[in-house]
Amino acid sequence: MDKITISMLKKAAKAILLDMSASEYEVLAQEFDILLRQMDLIGNIKGIDDTVPMTFPFEAATSWMRPDEPVPPEPASDILKNAGTTLADQIKVPKVVG
Amino acid sequence: MAYLDLTIHEIHEALVAGKTTPRELAAEAIKRACEDQNNAFELIIDQDAMAIAESLAEPEPDNLLWGIPYVAKDNFSTKGYPTTASSNSLNGYVPLFDATVIAKLKQRKAILIGKMALDELAMGGTGTTGHRGTTYNPHDPRHERMIGGSSAGSAAAVAAAIVPFALGSDTGDSVRKPAGYAGLVGYKPSWGRISRYGLFAFAPSLDHVGVLARSVSDAAAIVEAIAGHDDLDATSAMIANPKGLPQLEGDVRGLRVAVIGEIVNSPHHPIIKSKFEEILKGLTEAGAVVERVHMRRDLLDAIYPIYITISCAEATSNDANLDGIKFGPSFWGDTYEQAMLKARTNGFSELIKRRFIIGSFALMRENRDMLFVRAQKGRRLIVEALNEIYKTHDLIIVPAAPNVAPRFVDGSDKLSEEYLIADNHLVLGNFAGLPSMTVPIGLKDGLPFGLNVMGRAFEEATVVNAALAVERLTGLKNLRAEGGVAR
Repeated sequence: MDKITISMLKKAAKAILLDMSASEYEVLAQEFDILLRQMDLIGNIKGIDDTVPMTFPFEAATSWMRPDEPVPPEPASDILKNAGTTLADQIKVPKVVG
Repeated sequence: MAYLDLTIHEIHEALVAGKTTPRELAAEAIKRACEDQNNAFELIIDQDAMAIAESLAEPEPDNLLWGIPYVAKDNFSTKGYPTTASSNSLNGYVPLFDATVIAKLKQRKAILIGKMALDELAMGGTGTTGHRGTTYNPHDPRHERMIGGSSAGSAAAVAAAIVPFALGSDTGDSVRKPAGYAGLVGYKPSWGRISRYGLFAFAPSLDHVGVLARSVSDAAAIVEAIAGHDDLDATSAMIANPKGLPQLEGDVRGLRVAVIGEIVNSPHHPIIKSKFEEILKGLTEAGAVVERVHMRRDLLDAIYPIYITISCAEATSNDANLDGIKFGPSFWGDTYEQAMLKARTNGFSELIKRRFIIGSFALMRENRDMLFVRAQKGRRLIVEALNEIYKTHDLIIVPAAPNVAPRFVDGSDKLSEEYLIADNHLVLGNFAGLPSMTVPIGLKDGLPFGLNVMGRAFEEATVVNAALAVERLTGLKNLRAEGGVAR
């Protein structure tokens, strides 16, 4: 893999709505130097590209269905206690559509 | 007599005999929690715990956990109590429901007295990155050595005999590594054996609920109480929960034990190697068949990079909900993106942001096949290699760590054999979802070290049995740090 640049890292950060200071990006770039060398070790595994990816430790088939039992919802007032900004009985967010 | 210094089974006998009461135990546990010197707590639950303790009048001889105080890592949802995962991004968050394991322990009348510090969002192995600062190892009163993480506070509280057991979570080795550094039994059963409903997800393909205790039998008993299928967790196994494991005898006759030569031969302190070999000899004399096996070096070298790639990528996705909108500290902006950006930038520590960006980088379209998917392929090859060993052997036993608890100032070469293999091989149990238990086997200058027993998926009885045999050989049961001295 090519050498990592700060702009590549900023792009990755922006994709997940994060930002860091210039010095923090520098530290991360240095960390990536080691990280990419570690990741090269994955590429060194014999037969790596002829293998199917593993997404879970083993097959955990769930052929059952939950009973469709109505459960009373939590009171809106309790849920709203965790939200920073509320309006009436809703969570208030900045305007999305102009 | 200080009953909290005993094992759960011994405390239970005292409760049933009327020698102590839940009230006395809870009061003593809360007192010890308030005197904690290791920065282990996020929250001490005093009044409610005392009220529950006082409500428990008639001892229940068949309920081992009746009136037993315990603590839980602060990434388990607890209804009505702040749950932060030691992250500023969750300051003030109060769950509206209990995690299934918390509910099960409540049903068994165990008493939750505290929520414990962890590496932020469980993404670390040092106990140094929680928002309340470093958690210390009770075996080192000078506070120079780590206890490990991420279940740092849980391990510290059990090692300091504040409580006889704790809940933790284990994505790479987050229960079993600190157990080794703190002289405890750290146990995670098979993936799917214990419900994860209400546990904050870090990397769901690797996450397990685990327990920390001071004896193998205690750890097995807690798991027996909290395991079992849960409709609320889609990954919960349908396989019946085994019973009677705490009563096993530690009979290892005929058990075929594999020792992975490449792991044991990687750099370890000579005292640990010597004690480990002594235990293997003891198991052989007890009737086990112990054999060296090989695992490909190219697979072992890739353990850590595969772990860091998969775990960071999964975490990046899972923690996208930490946006300061629905919960957590809120920051306003002209757009919702601005509000989320501010909340996430201000809410996470630098280390966590770096981890998330690593995950994001691995998931970007141009890197995904080369990094994330390749790591998943490597995982499969490693799991296949492990399963090959289990075709001829019942267990794999290896040292839990290359040395005793490291000093905070100790650095490590991240490309060395010691770091890549000796320090990080416990994640093999997460890759394959295997039952895995760390047990103390010795002390070096008063600092504990342990070994790890790992069995086939859903064959917990074999693991517990072998761990009981190891415990019997060492005599290191109910190890505690009293005034910094292991007893």
